[in-house]
Amino acid sequence: MKGVVLDDAAVLLADGDTVATAITDLEAGRTIETEDLPDDRTVLEVAEPIAFGHKLAVTAIDAGEPIAKYGEVIGSATERIEPGEWVHTHNCESNRGRGDLAEGSA
Amino acid sequence: METFSGYRRADGRIGVRNRVAVLPTSVAASAVADRIAADGGPRVTATPHQMGTEQPEPARRRTERVLAGIGRNPNVGGALVVELGTEAAGASAIADEIAAGDTPVETLSIRDAGGTRAAIDRGREAVDALLEEAARARLESADASELVFGVECGGSDATSGIAANPAVGNACDRLVEAGGTSCFSETPEFIGAEHVLAERCVDESVRERLLECVDRRESVADLMGVDLRGTQPTPGNQEGGLTTIEEKSLGAIAKGGTTPIRDVVDYADPLPVGGGLVVMDTPGYDVESVVGKVAGGAQVIAFTTGRGSTTGNPIAPVIKVTGNPQTSDRMATNMDVDASTVLDGESVEAVGERVYETLLSVADGTRTEAERRGMAEFAINELQPRELASLGDPT
Amino acid sequence: MTRERDADAETDSATGNAAATEPGAGTGFEVYDRDRDGVGVRNRVLVVPSVICSHTVADRIADAVPGAVSAPHDHGCGQLGDDSERTERTLVGVAANPNVAGALAVGLGCETVQSDRLAGSIADRGVPVEEIAIQREGGTDACREAGIGRATALRAQAETERERVGLEAATIGVVSSDCRPSSLESADPLVGRVVERIVDAGGRALVAGNERIHAHVGAVRERVATADARERFDGVTDRAYDSPAAVTATRKRAADATPERVRRLWGDRPVRDVLEYGERAAHETGVALVDAPSAFDEAATALAAAGAQVVIHVTADGIPTGHPIVPVLTVTGDRDTYAALRDDLDAFAGETTPGELLATLRGVLDGEPTRSERHGVTSFAITRVGPSI
Repeated sequence: MKGVVLDDAAVLLADGDTVATAITDLEAGRTIETEDLPDDRTVLEVAEPIAFGHKLAVTAIDAGEPIAKYGEVIGSATERIEPGEWVHTHNCESNRGRGDLAEGSA
Repeated sequence: METFSGYRRADGRIGVRNRVAVLPTSVAASAVADRIAADGGPRVTATPHQMGTEQPEPARRRTERVLAGIGRNPNVGGALVVELGTEAAGASAIADEIAAGDTPVETLSIRDAGGTRAAIDRGREAVDALLEEAARARLESADASELVFGVECGGSDATSGIAANPAVGNACDRLVEAGGTSCFSETPEFIGAEHVLAERCVDESVRERLLECVDRRESVADLMGVDLRGTQPTPGNQEGGLTTIEEKSLGAIAKGGTTPIRDVVDYADPLPVGGGLVVMDTPGYDVESVVGKVAGGAQVIAFTTGRGSTTGNPIAPVIKVTGNPQTSDRMATNMDVDASTVLDGESVEAVGERVYETLLSVADGTRTEAERRGMAEFAINELQPRELASLGDPT
Repeated sequence: MTRERDADAETDSATGNAAATEPGAGTGFEVYDRDRDGVGVRNRVLVVPSVICSHTVADRIADAVPGAVSAPHDHGCGQLGDDSERTERTLVGVAANPNVAGALAVGLGCETVQSDRLAGSIADRGVPVEEIAIQREGGTDACREAGIGRATALRAQAETERERVGLEAATIGVVSSDCRPSSLESADPLVGRVVERIVDAGGRALVAGNERIHAHVGAVRERVATADARERFDGVTDRAYDSPAAVTATRKRAADATPERVRRLWGDRPVRDVLEYGERAAHETGVALVDAPSAFDEAATALAAAGAQVVIHVTADGIPTGHPIVPVLTVTGDRDTYAALRDDLDAFAGETTPGELLATLRGVLDGEPTRSERHGVTSFAITRVGPSI
């Protein structure tokens, strides 16, 4: 697998990514201890239950800021996201295919 | 040398199956085609579809292209084209195109036969004759470089982009290295990742065509006046952890591997043999997308699925690859390759080698789980009214 | 299923049905009253896939359970906006058709049209319903086995008593699929006369084929009886997707015909309501127009969703297929077609009086199988306007 596994809990797929993908169901309060976290952080506490395959923030992300996975932008934060929080459709939105924002659309 | 035994066709191409295809030209002939194939055994497959008897011109041309392409797929040893008899898309035109590829072909008109019952009887006789003819095909050793390998994803989740797609991509790289053709498609799933693909195009013209296809697919959302998020990612994708189309796309493109993109072809257009990595412009809707590649000549499909899609194809064997350990376990009877081992530390290269070995083994005749279960979904990507309207007046 | 009859026992009359020539056929027909909207003339268990990916499993379940039918379709995922909503509304609508005794929704698991939501909407319409999904059951083999059990249970619960009703309880669907001259000149007026008799008896007629409406907006609109219905009519005509590239041959032929001609399909009775594709008819009696194209499969599905018990299909081409949920009475006005496909057609308009066609229709309502029912040849499709994603 490309990327690094964080304490058997999640995988960080590229340098600079702001989210990691859970490779097991994570419980709230679990601590992920590794030197591979950004911001010189060595411990990340999981803030809420995060299911297998879902994403958690590995750094603070402000509303409107891009969210990065695979070393690429996958969307923007719709609200401030703290490290360890679940990142999904409730706080991250696509920047593409937005016919609802297109001019003159119904 | 990587070889398999296949059916050498008159035009030199190699089939990995020796099927007799029963191809209805419209929805009005589909039920009859289905009934004709039903009693023919596993080698006889029908492609029932819902295209109308009077499609607008551009839509009709696409239907004909798909059906002729399916009939010309080297896995087809004989084809029966069935029409009601009044369709704009007539059986003889499609049969002529199939015959041009030297595939034995017959036509059947329900009207000329005197009704559905008589047509079913006559169709069965025609299929028997085609089976006999197909049985004369020479089974001989073929090289991996003669394979056209289509790759697809459906029912994706977060494991698709991390495990299954990179593993299938590795198999694509191996086949390209061996001199074959790998084809990936699903243009809506390039949205947000097109800049990565654009850098891999062999020249400016291929790059321009690729970006143009992506633009057109993205504008479909504008056409319908909605947010693409209404369907992409799908509910299952989202439940599986995929949040946005960009995220889905970045994971999806991994299944094409890492070699240069040599060409971009239209839906159901012929794919080159020995052509390296080629992109086909198809929807992400997986059954229609697989059909496009099989119509283009792909003999084998690999289909990655995190959630567990179970679909097959009437003409090409479909290898199911999952990166999700739960799906691999719970849906073992529908999955062919377990790529979830990537999450446990097996290298993508090692899993890619397993996919590649499965590809050669399936090409050699090993039946896939979908084949064993007769899963053979078929649908044509139809040009729809709003899409046609956006094309303007063709005249 | 319904009473099956050997094809050899058929009469060779132009209507292909013994009931047409029997004076004692009576005026009413026997129905299944399931204590919900409308009464059924068939007793089918519908196995409805929520998406193309589960249609093979749905087919296999239906094949294994007597009296069960499936409704395989191409949709349920990869559709946007209007298309996705229409697919779901239509699947609920066909499951709520009065001919359906119970429904089994079969999902894959990851699709847009989720099978549990679909089953919930079907239950809201008062239909006994079960639901399974391939991914939840752990694969296609397990899903098929579980599905056969559920469909068999639904079958066992089906109402078996039939009661006699009059034509006022009839809801007839009508589609004339090609607008060719023989249809417009001979078969449409014949069907129109039958529609008049049904309506005059207090029954309902639902008419598909929006090409006729789009080609003659003003002339059709003036036959729409109420302000409410006119508003709905305007809603339909305002969003025609007319463009040179999208226009079908049927639409062109409808435009070439006079308004009087295209209207004859529903006789001389006023239009009481106008329905969306997949919407259930709610008017008490009379004619309603359905915003469905004339293409037979797509029209028949909309008519079934609207609540039709039987569909009359006028076809110059001789399209021989039926529909899984509603018996289809196939009528042609084309002499060559009738000669070519006599075994598949229920009536030739050139040799059938309105009274004879009405008698055949009454026989079908009463359980007499149509030609396509005897041959077991059906097709099912849902209309769409936008491309797959």
